[in-house]
Amino acid sequence: MLHQNLEWFFPHTTEEAVKLISQQGVILHGGGTRILKTSPKSIKGLVDVGKLNMNYIHHSGNKISIGSASTYDEVIRFSARTKKLSMLVKALSEAASTPLRNRITIGGSLKDFPIWSSLYAPLLALNAQIEIADKHDKIISLEEYLETGIIKTKHLIKRIILEDDPQVIGGVKRFVLIRFEYPLFTVAVALRTKQNIISDARIFITGVKGRYKHCKRAEHFLIGKELNDENIQQAKKHFAPKFVSDYKYSAEYKEHAAKVFFTDLLQELKGTVK
Amino acid sequence: MKLPFKINNKQKHLELLPNETLLQALRNNHFTEVKCGCNEGECGACTVLLEGKPVNSCQVLAMSVQEKEITTVKGIGTLYTPHLLQKSFAEAGADQCGFCSPGMVLASYSLLKENPQPTREEILVALDGNLCRCTGYVKIIDAVEMTAQKLHSNKLVME
Ligand SMILES: Cc1cc2nc3c(=O)[nH]c(=O)nc-3n(C[C@H](O)[C@H](O)[C@H](O)COP(=O)(O)OP(=O)(O)OC[C@H]3O[C@@H](n4cnc5c(N)ncnc54)[C@H](O)[C@@H]3O)c2cc1C
Ligand code: FES
Ligand code: FES
Repeated sequence: MLHQNLEWFFPHTTEEAVKLISQQGVILHGGGTRILKTSPKSIKGLVDVGKLNMNYIHHSGNKISIGSASTYDEVIRFSARTKKLSMLVKALSEAASTPLRNRITIGGSLKDFPIWSSLYAPLLALNAQIEIADKHDKIISLEEYLETGIIKTKHLIKRIILEDDPQVIGGVKRFVLIRFEYPLFTVAVALRTKQNIISDARIFITGVKGRYKHCKRAEHFLIGKELNDENIQQAKKHFAPKFVSDYKYSAEYKEHAAKVFFTDLLQELKGTVK
Repeated sequence: MKLPFKINNKQKHLELLPNETLLQALRNNHFTEVKCGCNEGECGACTVLLEGKPVNSCQVLAMSVQEKEITTVKGIGTLYTPHLLQKSFAEAGADQCGFCSPGMVLASYSLLKENPQPTREEILVALDGNLCRCTGYVKIIDAVEMTAQKLHSNKLVME
């Protein structure tokens, strides 16, 4: 339960918001769906992001910026209008449910990074950048944000920046038994190809031991090769995510399922290679 | 504390605490047409429209939506003046115990307002956050399709 003397703040600038969250026990409020689940009594104040002008999606040149107060639904609608971000939007369209997608924000989902996140695997595969503000504003890769532990520090996420590269093909798959369920894992693959040959690959899986894995061995195997049946079967051997057993599934079962999903994804991409 | 909210097109003052969800705040202030099922964001019984879009009111902190337009099921039609969609729910036999109905009606209302002629798949997606333990869903989907058909054949605009 959140404390009943909780204080609310509605700042109009990100500078004000950053100052407010520098106080102990004061955190940002995006959609509130995770804050309500964790509901720590230690929270003394909530700083709402609603008036910070971070609810936008801009497309300029080859960059797409998604303001952190945008909801999953707003990203899906942007994609329906522009036909951009198809890989990310496939993942977000399958996340949670319609009423939750109307509420969950990009910023809250990035800072929180739940094990069932639908957002991280596609964004990491697409090599997204993140703009954050604490004492200074900075733009770093999302991977660096995780690797260096910045995610654990107090800061405000301003936006996500993605490259709109028509040479990149990609796909994403999540493990669920029914439509509305927390995914067990999500695997995402982005490939750049030239005359049928893979020139670059980014492969990520979330939901694994350590929350996420950058599958570099599988990437190295695929680069310089054609995406054909034989190489897909070989790539599977280089894709070895590690899981933790839980009350429903053993780690071995999850690893096997992840390998199947990975090869299915590559098979689907095979048909779209340019 | 008592704070102003815009509910069903009227200014209302809700007595609430800063840590309360919209669901708690509404029910504690006599908007009991908003139901509490799971309190976890999983059943949709607590659905209200926020600026016309369905949200789970149990997953929304009331203080964060003070300036937004909130619609409960009574905001689209009442027992004595039911909305076309509510009539279709009754005609199709889409209510049994009725606990899911406010959420189902609001989620369907929001869909039809934006897309008056949805496909069955679009209806399924729009209702993916609403559980019903009684009907088996078929009659609920029939009710939405029936409303779409009435809108089309009578050249009506979804109000
Ligand atoms: C039933 C259910 C099912 C779900 N299923 C899925 C799913 O399948 N896939 C999926 O991806 N998600 C799913 N979610 C959502 C996920 O679990 C989190 O609740 C959600 O991502 C949090 O986003 P929020 O905007 O509500 O964040 P909040 O609850 O507002 O905040 C979460 C954290 O982020 C911080 N924060 C908020 N905004 C910012 C910002 N701009 N900058 C920095 N920090 C910030 C907050 O201080 C807090 O620590 C589900 C949620 C529920 C309730
Ligand atoms: S009571 Fe809110 S979703 Fe179940
Ligand atoms: S009619 Fe009983 S839960 Fe739907």
